[in-house]
Amino acid sequence: MSLLSGQALQLVDVNSLVNVVWLASIFVFFIYGQRLQMYLIANDISRALGRLKIMRDRSRKEAIDYFTSSGKVVGDPTQRIDEFLDYVTIMPVDMDPNGIVGKLQHITNTRDERVRAEVSQMIPNVDPTKVSVAENILEIATSLNQIHKIVRHYYLLGKKTNSYMLLFQLQMIMPMVLQEADALVNAVDTFKLGQPVGDGIGPVIASRYMQNLPKQVVGKDTVMTVGEYKGRTLYVLKAEGPMGYVGEPGVAIQKLVEEMKVPLDAIIMVDAALKLEGEKTGEIAEGVGAAIGGIGVDKFKIEEVSSTHKVPVYAILVKQSILEAITVMRKEIAEASDKVQTLINRVIEEKTKEGDKVLLAGIGNTLGVAQ
Amino acid sequence: MNSSTSTKENKAKFLVYTIEECPVDGTKTKRAFQVGDYVTKEGGKCTKCGNATKITLIYGEAPPKN
Repeated sequence: MSLLSGQALQLVDVNSLVNVVWLASIFVFFIYGQRLQMYLIANDISRALGRLKIMRDRSRKEAIDYFTSSGKVVGDPTQRIDEFLDYVTIMPVDMDPNGIVGKLQHITNTRDERVRAEVSQMIPNVDPTKVSVAENILEIATSLNQIHKIVRHYYLLGKKTNSYMLLFQLQMIMPMVLQEADALVNAVDTFKLGQPVGDGIGPVIASRYMQNLPKQVVGKDTVMTVGEYKGRTLYVLKAEGPMGYVGEPGVAIQKLVEEMKVPLDAIIMVDAALKLEGEKTGEIAEGVGAAIGGIGVDKFKIEEVSSTHKVPVYAILVKQSILEAITVMRKEIAEASDKVQTLINRVIEEKTKEGDKVLLAGIGNTLGVAQ
Repeated sequence: MNSSTSTKENKAKFLVYTIEECPVDGTKTKRAFQVGDYVTKEGGKCTKCGNATKITLIYGEAPPKN
């Protein structure tokens, strides 16, 4: 009897203990749950920040190696490159947006000219393709440095102020930030070898219409040819390759219509476009409007000219991811070029008539694609 | 959510090829990319007619599995 009651007592004790632990843990999680979650989130961001730091250091080293291996570098480029990593471009004030495009163009032109002059000074007497590659690699290293700095800023700020929501939001966008950083770091190898990137599909197609025709410069790093297609005068423009430039298609189209007084009947733009998840790489989309990315200066100019002079703008887009756009052109994208060419010919034949003047613009980075 | 997870497509290393096309008979030759290649650059002789070819495409493709 006493043995039985002892066992019952023991059972009651164990049950009570489990209940106490259970209640205590609920209480602890109720009070400290958010703190624990914040600790886990901060850990996760810290790991991602470590990866970003590795990527930043690797791109910096690649930039230094590229300058050094050019064989014509003046002095040690390390200090100059480190200064460049913190190079900032201050955007114009937008409280009164009237005339902001002109200011943006002026600021970006000044930056581009400054970077090119500095690079040419650091590696004088090298061919223009190498100068353009060095500019692109420097830009990648600068972007990765900025990404790392901004993520680190919000991570440290979140920890310092115990801001759960700040860290939580940062953790939510980290996979996308890492994806972009991965794309940038992978792009370095492609640029170093001078291989065409996915974004270069527009210039690849434009170059097919420019073969054996005299080229004229119509903007900074932008060339144009005048040819004929089935009774139409065909103007074709792209950035000057095989350097890694995007040129100034907006300025070129404006110059063609307003300075050279060419009465265009249609503008066809071919460009790479970011695909949505689920879309296939190399898929082609057709539409209307200025197919061009970037800061918006060129797009604005093309829209301005086309609407003022009532010129229809047709767009042909080749879908790809951000990684595919800035690394070596994938087979699926390259193979889309024949279909795009057929589509361009169809648009010219259907939307214009004999005697019309048509402009074809191949938009994108033209590294590894001459004309 | 684990932000340290990397995407699958980053891990693939691509083999880069240059396509040379004969402007006369359209014969296409595929070879490994060499530094200095660019689209529209003059390539080697056409294997069929002996005319000078031109580089028409440069692209990367994933290596065959196994």
